Amino acid sequence: MKMLIGFEVHQQLNTDRKMYCDSPTNYQDVPPNTNVCPICTGMPGSKPMPPNERAVNAAIEIALLFGCRVITDELIYIQRKHYDYPDLPSGYQRTSLPIGINGELQGVRIREVHMEEDPGQYDPTLGTVDYNRSGVPLVEIVTEPDMHSPEEARKFLRQLVRVLEYSGKVRPEAGGAMRTDTNISLEGGGRVEVKNINSVKGAYRAIKFEIIRQKSKLERGESVTRETRAFLESQKITVSMRVKELEEDYRYIPDPDIFPLIIDKARVEAIRASMVEPPYLREQRLVKQYGIESTAASVIVSERELADLFEAVAKEIDPKLAATWFRTKLKKVLNYMKLRAADVKFTPEHIVDLLQMVDDCEITPEQGELILRQLVKHPNDPRKILQELGLDRIKPEELRAAINGVVSANPDAVRDYQAGREEALHFLAGKVMKLTHGRADARKIIELLRTKIMGEK
Amino acid sequence: MGEVTKAKLEAIRNLDLSAVENIQRALENLSKLNPRINAFIGPNPDAIAQAEAIDKKLNRGEQVGKLAGLAIGIKSNINVKGLRATCASKTLEDYVSTYDAEVIKRILNEDGIIIGMTNMDEFACGSSGETSAFGATDNPAASGYIPGGSSSGSAAATSAGISDLCLGSDTGGSIRNPASHCGVVGVKPTYGLVPRQGLIDLAMSLDQIGPFAPDVYGAALLLEVIGGFNPNECVMLDVREVSYVDKLKEDLRGMRIGTSQKFRELTDPRIMKIIDSAIEKLQDLGAEIINVELPHLEKGLPSYYLIMSVEFFSATRKFDGRKYGKRIEDVCGDEVLRRILRGRYISRKEYRGKYYQRALQVRTIIREELMAALKKVDVIVGPTVPKLPHKLGTSLTPMEMYAYDYLTIPANLAGVCGGVIKAGELGGIPVGLQVQGKVLGDGEMLRVLHAYEVNA
Amino acid sequence: MFLGFGRLLEERLKEIERSAEEIVKSFLEASESLPTKRETYYSHEVYNIMRRDGEPSPSVERSEFRRRFLEIMPNSDENGNLKVEVARWVR
Repeated sequence: MKMLIGFEVHQQLNTDRKMYCDSPTNYQDVPPNTNVCPICTGMPGSKPMPPNERAVNAAIEIALLFGCRVITDELIYIQRKHYDYPDLPSGYQRTSLPIGINGELQGVRIREVHMEEDPGQYDPTLGTVDYNRSGVPLVEIVTEPDMHSPEEARKFLRQLVRVLEYSGKVRPEAGGAMRTDTNISLEGGGRVEVKNINSVKGAYRAIKFEIIRQKSKLERGESVTRETRAFLESQKITVSMRVKELEEDYRYIPDPDIFPLIIDKARVEAIRASMVEPPYLREQRLVKQYGIESTAASVIVSERELADLFEAVAKEIDPKLAATWFRTKLKKVLNYMKLRAADVKFTPEHIVDLLQMVDDCEITPEQGELILRQLVKHPNDPRKILQELGLDRIKPEELRAAINGVVSANPDAVRDYQAGREEALHFLAGKVMKLTHGRADARKIIELLRTKIMGEK
Repeated sequence: MGEVTKAKLEAIRNLDLSAVENIQRALENLSKLNPRINAFIGPNPDAIAQAEAIDKKLNRGEQVGKLAGLAIGIKSNINVKGLRATCASKTLEDYVSTYDAEVIKRILNEDGIIIGMTNMDEFACGSSGETSAFGATDNPAASGYIPGGSSSGSAAATSAGISDLCLGSDTGGSIRNPASHCGVVGVKPTYGLVPRQGLIDLAMSLDQIGPFAPDVYGAALLLEVIGGFNPNECVMLDVREVSYVDKLKEDLRGMRIGTSQKFRELTDPRIMKIIDSAIEKLQDLGAEIINVELPHLEKGLPSYYLIMSVEFFSATRKFDGRKYGKRIEDVCGDEVLRRILRGRYISRKEYRGKYYQRALQVRTIIREELMAALKKVDVIVGPTVPKLPHKLGTSLTPMEMYAYDYLTIPANLAGVCGGVIKAGELGGIPVGLQVQGKVLGDGEMLRVLHAYEVNA
Repeated sequence: MFLGFGRLLEERLKEIERSAEEIVKSFLEASESLPTKRETYYSHEVYNIMRRDGEPSPSVERSEFRRRFLEIMPNSDENGNLKVEVARWVR
């Protein structure tokens, strides 16, 4: 069944002061209604302060990261978007006209990027409002409904969040991160908007639920009306939010209390020159500059800090070796430990030393991975770790002894191998590896076993 | 003439009159007169204590502020921490201000003493002073007649001599109109000269806070105190140096004063007679009178009411009863509701072009006309209101009420300054001369008012 | 145009709506003959007034405001949250 899925993603910008007042933005660290002032609580007579310049610049940079054309030399009004909701202190939200338009990510068109202010936090079940968050600057990214399956939507959203984190311009807090509205329409039905989604997982679940709901309606011959619904995280369902009195007309007017902005080309160029390299461009450059494969490059640029680490390492050691390690072992260890590249405490030098040891055959790749795991947990000189783990290189006579021991202890397997069964050899190799605690290279073990067994024939 | 404020300030500074005495007298007058004129909604219980603090400073020979010891009334749509900014409405009748408006900070910084919150038309939606939820205000200069609005209480308090100075706000004439009816000096400053942080707006792009005083010196002094750049709001002019008192001269030699035939077309001839004599006097003082054209002046009125209604609708969305007060639509008066509904209607997506944006285009026309006229002269003078104030309680249709605003609206649409001073009386009812100046031409405007005042 | 404003009487509301429209009609008549122009949204043509990010406001100021804010709240909980209505769509 044909479907159109789009997103309106909101993410908080990383500033110290709020968008239209000087209240602090660390809303999660303080008791309710502490980081507030007459402006962000909508006290009668309060007027906005001039917009936060850092937020404006961040929005421009994010627009550039998504390949948007930034609106220059034209009036950009900050508008009032009027609607009635408990978390909106003034009864309207200040939202800018687009800062950037016509961008693209992973084949999905980005319609526009603009700035908004966050409303307060309303708990709909308890009926409480906390204005600490009210007024924190937001960037909103609106896509065209270019996604055609929940999986595609999920993949896109993950990448979008990644790019935003890449920029370093969004608030790193887990809770204050992405909020998205998603719109879903099936062929033959109206467009349904789902709000109150706080995670990529939630978006996926909401979309799946909506598709089922809409599909069954259409199959029953009922119409799917255009409406707004809310996603209930705990129950994984969407419910109708429509209240009859509420009208959809937001009655936008330019905010008379805020002079319009005009972005000049010089500002855009200055930001472009100093901004972080967008992931897709960095990927291309890594392939070209270091001669690595694009599959590896794609994994490496998935996190900015990972790519930074890679480039530091690739200066000192064979980039292709480094790329393989980053793509397979390092990423695997990080995922297993649920860590991000930004969280690691080891240095590029540690990795370089480790890879050097592998390259020189001082240690096996398997040993290297063990050291890597330890490195992530307790950063230290890899050689020291090697000793601590007792993984230092096995002496040839130790290995020979182990081989001999295994061969004598497993005569049946030896006979099977001599009879032509390869898997018996692997069985024996496994025993040797266990005995030597993985301190010997697997291929070496196989080679020596073969020589020993076949040689003794 | 025109020495009242100066004399009082000097008396206080010379320790001939203590601040406490001045404030006590003011509060006594308040309790004596207010039952009849209803200029104040509520006195400031802290006023005497503040006066005592000023007296301490004075007695110690310390430096005191420009407004030291003066009793000042504040319109009830301006936030004064601890007092109720009711906007004369049931919506906010219990709203205790949680912060000081910027103009209040400046007044307190200059040792002015706030004696109470003055009455007004509900949410500034009126030109008569009759729509307050706390009862109508009487005109002290012409008892039984409306004082004008919406800053009715501030004009009346000044006229009755209860307060030394007052603050009002002007969206389409709400300072100048009651100044004219009550026979006092009232000034609407250039838009963007005086901070609006803390003013509960009627229309954000039109409102300005301004002074009421018995004399031009007092108005100029208060304007000096409240005016000037505020970095904590966005829509301000970058004016750092604000001085007017020094610029008050007694003659008008070299000044070019404009007047328009359009005023005559729109105004009661009896009023025009008084204005004509006032203009002659200005000529005697050395000014050159030049004719200016304002062909579309009267079209400003309907376009103003559309723009203001949209902005007022927006401004009142915060009065939902959740954080403070009550939901405005549940308890407000007819005119307030009229403006909310009108604003709600014409700001609809499908009507924007036809009404709101079209009205903003007419605003451009009015503005360009007024600015072009002001290029030819230093100030434009004329009547303040086109008709005499009616008796309290007279029934008027909304359109008849709006008609008071014809001559004051253009200055708000253009963002220029306008001041009013008493020019005469008709059957005991004061008639005010309006002087309009260029953007940031407040000094010239005050100069004309002062010269007239001294020689009248 | 029924908006369901609680206790308002139907008649009063109708009358107010009707009288609200008079000036709108008057505007249409007055502006009919006038040319189209650029709209004037602001009194002055000033752009790009922005504010530097930096040190937030002093907490002393804010705690005083918080005290007053909490005092005027119609309803609050022990943590300082404002209490309002529960959402209709919550099951």
